[in-house]
Amino acid sequence: MNTQFKKGIVEMCIMSIIKQNDMYGYEVIEKLATDIDVNENTVYPILRRLTSQGLFDTYMEQTNIGAPRKYYKITSLGKEKLEEYEIEWKSFLKGVFKLLGGIADEN
Amino acid sequence: MKTKYLEKLRDQLQNFQASKADIDEILSDYGQLYDDALAKGKTDEEIYQLLGEPRQVAYELIDTIKIKQHKNKRNKIIALMPFISVIIFMILGFGWDLWHPGWMVFLLIPITAIIMTTDVKNAIIALSPFITTLTYLLLGFKYDLWHPGWLIFFFIPMISIILNTRLKDMFVALSPFVATIAFMILGTYYDLWNPGWLVFLLIPMIGILHTRKLWKMFVWELSFVAAIAFYLYMGYVQNNWATGGLGFILPVATSIIFGDMNFVWDMPKGPMRKKVYILLSSIALSIAVFVLLGVLAQGWAYAWQIFLIIPVASIILFDKFRVTAIMPFIAVVLFFSLGYFLHIFQWSWLAFLLIPMAAIIENA
Repeated sequence: MNTQFKKGIVEMCIMSIIKQNDMYGYEVIEKLATDIDVNENTVYPILRRLTSQGLFDTYMEQTNIGAPRKYYKITSLGKEKLEEYEIEWKSFLKGVFKLLGGIADEN
Repeated sequence: MKTKYLEKLRDQLQNFQASKADIDEILSDYGQLYDDALAKGKTDEEIYQLLGEPRQVAYELIDTIKIKQHKNKRNKIIALMPFISVIIFMILGFGWDLWHPGWMVFLLIPITAIIMTTDVKNAIIALSPFITTLTYLLLGFKYDLWHPGWLIFFFIPMISIILNTRLKDMFVALSPFVATIAFMILGTYYDLWNPGWLVFLLIPMIGILHTRKLWKMFVWELSFVAAIAFYLYMGYVQNNWATGGLGFILPVATSIIFGDMNFVWDMPKGPMRKKVYILLSSIALSIAVFVLLGVLAQGWAYAWQIFLIIPVASIILFDKFRVTAIMPFIAVVLFFSLGYFLHIFQWSWLAFLLIPMAAIIENA
């Protein structure tokens, strides 16, 4: 699959899982890796980019193991963007399934 | 392993000219990721795979980092300077027919690069070849002072000595250059080659000032003063310089008695001592060749070029070897020798374009 295309999907997935729960970097990597085949080393750059775009906020929280951890939290702008992406993605998938033989209709 | 990974990442981010704040934040985040992965039982190799190769990571992060503004601005100025120089050169040439010495604007290219990328002290040292070359050319073209204008090149090692040497050693280190300058001026303008060479005795006489025992220093200095007085008396009054020369047996004997014949001042130890010897030998050799060429071939007009070996030797021995620093001297020799021997001064000035060219190639 095209790398940029895959990165776009991973970006949406990261926004989606952080919308459900605030998470720290390694937690995001783990969560993604359990469900999809992802190149883990692209996760942090995506987290950082989404933060610099104002779609995520960060805050520090003390841990038992030592230094405080940075947590990522979705912003209201992030939520709006995610909704847009989800609509686009679902519409795109619908078209793809239709082309591939009506799988979307079956579901 | 973690430290090594973070160091590599830091290097890569610095290569991308990331700001310090960004580097610190990214390294802190990667430090956390590394610790979390370790806590989950991952090995260092697994973590390396998980986080990614530092160069690739830095590349992925490039659109999230702020490039150092000042460095960026400096690089722009450095990159623009060749174009600015060409424009100024063209305006001077077409506008006022100043192709020569208008070409000197090309020296702005290495000069700007040095000013923009080095701290003040090193910038002064690195700029000294260019400033002295410009001054030399000015003295030569405007006042026809090619000789003894070349003495200006001694300022290069002298500036380096002034900025790098302790005050205590500075006068000793500067004395060979001051003595040579004084000798050349006395000889050229007053035809005082003899007894003008006596100024070279300033070198051991200043060195002796480091002697710890006051009486020893006093006797030693006195032996020099007495020898000089005797030499001058015999020469000027009795017209017998040769006999006057015998007076120098006195300071030589004093040196032998004091056991310091070889080391007139506190010589540095180890490889530095070797370097000082090489430099002193280059000074002695230059003087010998200069005098031989002058006396045997009446080559005073061009023999001075041999003295350029001294600043070159000084740069090679005491600084990091850089072609850019040596090029002004090569250019001067090419310019003068081609002009003097082949009578093509109208072309030989082109040799000076080698200076900015060397700087561009070396700094690219």
